Amino acid sequence: MIARITPPAWTRWVLPGIAAAILLGYPLVFGTVYTNIFIHFAIFAVFAASLNMLVSYTGLLSFGHALFFGGGAYATALALENIPGMGLFPAIFTGGLAGAAFALIVSPLLNRVRDTAFALLTLALGQLAYMACIKLRDITHGEDGVGGFPIPDLSIPGVVSVSMVPAQNFYYLAIVILGICLLLMWFLTKTPFGSIMIGIRDNPQRVDFLGFNIPLTKCLIFTLSGFFAGIAGSVYALFNNLVTPDGVFHIMTSFTPIMMVYVGGIGTFAGPIAGSGLMTIIEEIATRYTTQLVLFNGILLVLVVMFFRTGFVGLYLLLKQKLFEKESSR
Amino acid sequence: MDPMTFICVTQFVHGLAYGLLLFLVAAGLSMIFGMMDILNLAHAYIFMLAAYLGYTMTGLLNFWAALLLAPIGVALLGMLIERFMLRKIHPLGHIPELVLTIGIGLILLEFVKWIWGTQSLMLQPPEILSGLLSIGVFRYPVYRVFIIGFSIAVMILMGLLFYKTRFGTIVRAATADAGMVGALGINVPLVYTLFFGFGTWLAGLAGVVVAPFLSVFPGLADQIGFDAFVVVVLGGLGSMSGAFIAAILIGLLNSFGIQFLPTLAPLLTFGLMAVVLSIKPTGLLGERQ
Amino acid sequence: MTGILETRDLCHDFNGLKVLTHIQFSVQPGERHAIIGPNGAGKTTFFNLVTGVYTPASGRILFKDVDVTKAKPYRLTRMGLGRSFQITSIFQRQTPFQNIRLAILSKNRIRFNLFVRVDRMNAINEQTNEILQEIQLADEAHLPTSTLSYGKQRSLDLGMALATAPDLLLFDEPTAGMSRDESHSAVELIRKLTEGKTMVIVEHDMDVVFSLADRITVLHRGEILATGTPYEIQENDAVKKAYLGESEV
Repeated sequence: MIARITPPAWTRWVLPGIAAAILLGYPLVFGTVYTNIFIHFAIFAVFAASLNMLVSYTGLLSFGHALFFGGGAYATALALENIPGMGLFPAIFTGGLAGAAFALIVSPLLNRVRDTAFALLTLALGQLAYMACIKLRDITHGEDGVGGFPIPDLSIPGVVSVSMVPAQNFYYLAIVILGICLLLMWFLTKTPFGSIMIGIRDNPQRVDFLGFNIPLTKCLIFTLSGFFAGIAGSVYALFNNLVTPDGVFHIMTSFTPIMMVYVGGIGTFAGPIAGSGLMTIIEEIATRYTTQLVLFNGILLVLVVMFFRTGFVGLYLLLKQKLFEKESSR
Repeated sequence: MDPMTFICVTQFVHGLAYGLLLFLVAAGLSMIFGMMDILNLAHAYIFMLAAYLGYTMTGLLNFWAALLLAPIGVALLGMLIERFMLRKIHPLGHIPELVLTIGIGLILLEFVKWIWGTQSLMLQPPEILSGLLSIGVFRYPVYRVFIIGFSIAVMILMGLLFYKTRFGTIVRAATADAGMVGALGINVPLVYTLFFGFGTWLAGLAGVVVAPFLSVFPGLADQIGFDAFVVVVLGGLGSMSGAFIAAILIGLLNSFGIQFLPTLAPLLTFGLMAVVLSIKPTGLLGERQ
Repeated sequence: MTGILETRDLCHDFNGLKVLTHIQFSVQPGERHAIIGPNGAGKTTFFNLVTGVYTPASGRILFKDVDVTKAKPYRLTRMGLGRSFQITSIFQRQTPFQNIRLAILSKNRIRFNLFVRVDRMNAINEQTNEILQEIQLADEAHLPTSTLSYGKQRSLDLGMALATAPDLLLFDEPTAGMSRDESHSAVELIRKLTEGKTMVIVEHDMDVVFSLADRITVLHRGEILATGTPYEIQENDAVKKAYLGESEV
């Protein structure tokens, strides 16, 4: 191990402290519109990070991740619509559980295929969910979706009760929940289980011969990924107070996080988060100048895949390295 | 004649026509996968682009000129995509390829919406192919019969190309062992490019022919494209005969499904695809995953 | 007397092409057993059957007196079987440390731990370093594996088999593709690492076989031609005929 000088303990709290201060002050400074944009970013950061667990850490490309996102969104919306007195956290947790349950149900199928066939199977399952959601009118209200359900207050009985309708209140809830999700997913990559995931990505045969049960391991990965996608969907449902098949189950819903993973940088944890941020910023700016946002995004994606395979994070690391080299050569 | 028989026969011919068209789209997709190990997710969007080009060219010139020129146009596009994009990222594995081709598909979709708008465009078949054909008591649109005849003619042409020409021999050899063919002094990358062009040309033909049949609209790629994926998966990735059987099957399933189970029809194809992929990932006749 | 590994009437074919017929094979605890035979004799197929890559067409496989004929590789590994690969099978994008650590996690039965940072599992990391010392990769422990020399990558492959602390080690041509010098030091390494352990080795190189094995089985056209001590095998007429008959070409 390389010996290094340890900086004083308090310095490691400086950056997180500044970040926390910015996050806390953000809605007060920027107002409702930008607060909503930030919530949108955070939802998709978690959604993309949950997809990234498969793409970057297990080496599987899912074209049907909307299944879990939509599953979570609908579960929360339907729970709030149909169960009187449903609490806020139980509603969100229901969304996560629904995403996890969907993933658990399809994982025996997903375990049978990999590579191109995996992408196709997830595409088929995602489309199946989209179609089923439109057709099962009795439950999902078809194309109209579920909307206008009550948004519960954040309440601790006898202590405090805060309405979640104002954007700024909802903002704090959203960033706490989504932030915890990102932290958990990040932590996951650092655990022994995370090492096994990466092993499966790089050489499944050897992982098998090391004594790990790959189908069972993948099953847990899918379930966890589905859980976090479900939470993202759940927060989406609360945020919009409306879920529709086109909004949460459409193929574009599966496709958006793939774009974010690639634009942000595949193979890294920060990639999808940066990707979500970038795509959100691009959307905000581009819609002022063009109505062809999706066209623009498509071109961006193709350019990234062709020329910047490491995405934004890769570009950042490259720049940092370049600057660092310049300094050291002085 | 009782109406049930009439409906059945009508739906059968309609399903056959749709199935054969599906085969033209799926054949290109499947043969490119079989030979080059690339699943081109943009394939269906190229097909749709051909339908739009066919629409515009029919307006400017006539249907037959469109049937000649539009497929050549999209074949050139396909060759450019293969030569300058796919070839560059092929060594990186399947995931970037899938993402790249879906990205290209997205661009094509948005491009088409931008240029032609989102409304459905109706195209009349040429004079000679319009009207109804009477066989006994049946009266049937001539154009659908033309689709069946035309698709079969293209299939025969494909057969001749593969089994009677030098290009076909090289293609078959390269599918089995590209390295060996390259060692024999044949420019395998060029063969790949031409082959990719051929696959997209087939999709282009289907695109122009489909225009008077189903009309032209931005959802066309999703509708036919997904069905084509189901066909390729069901038939086994890379298997021609499997794709043919599956295409006819899906065509009929679609046609009868819409007639008798209108709510479930869209679910049927995806359900079938999911079932086949999870039970036998190699499909009906395919060998590799 | 039953061995640690036994096969009874083991047969296998690929689409009707017979690869192995009625193999009766037995390894005693503590034995260092080599399987030799000309190309196409069925050695690698035999290995793949025994380690659960293929399920045999007929016959039984017993490991520690348990029927493992249909067991999956991960089960066999958990029961104490370790194998290396003819074509190096390691995690190229990871460091040797991370490679070995994965094996150590398995050995400690840590498979679904989502609650601790693996960097902070001191016992695991210590055991990993011990293995890296043993396979002489301590200096390269934190370099990308893909930058290591071929010989070192082979050592890592061996190390991973070893790190799960198996009771029976199967080495599939451990010196395949190595230069003379590399091969020599690899043999020394194997000798040292497998001191007192039960081992089955498939090998082409006769020098390697005779310096490592105390029993040899000769496979020829899918059948066992002979089994015995190195001396007995050297003197066996059938073996001479099988080998000389083919090397005359």
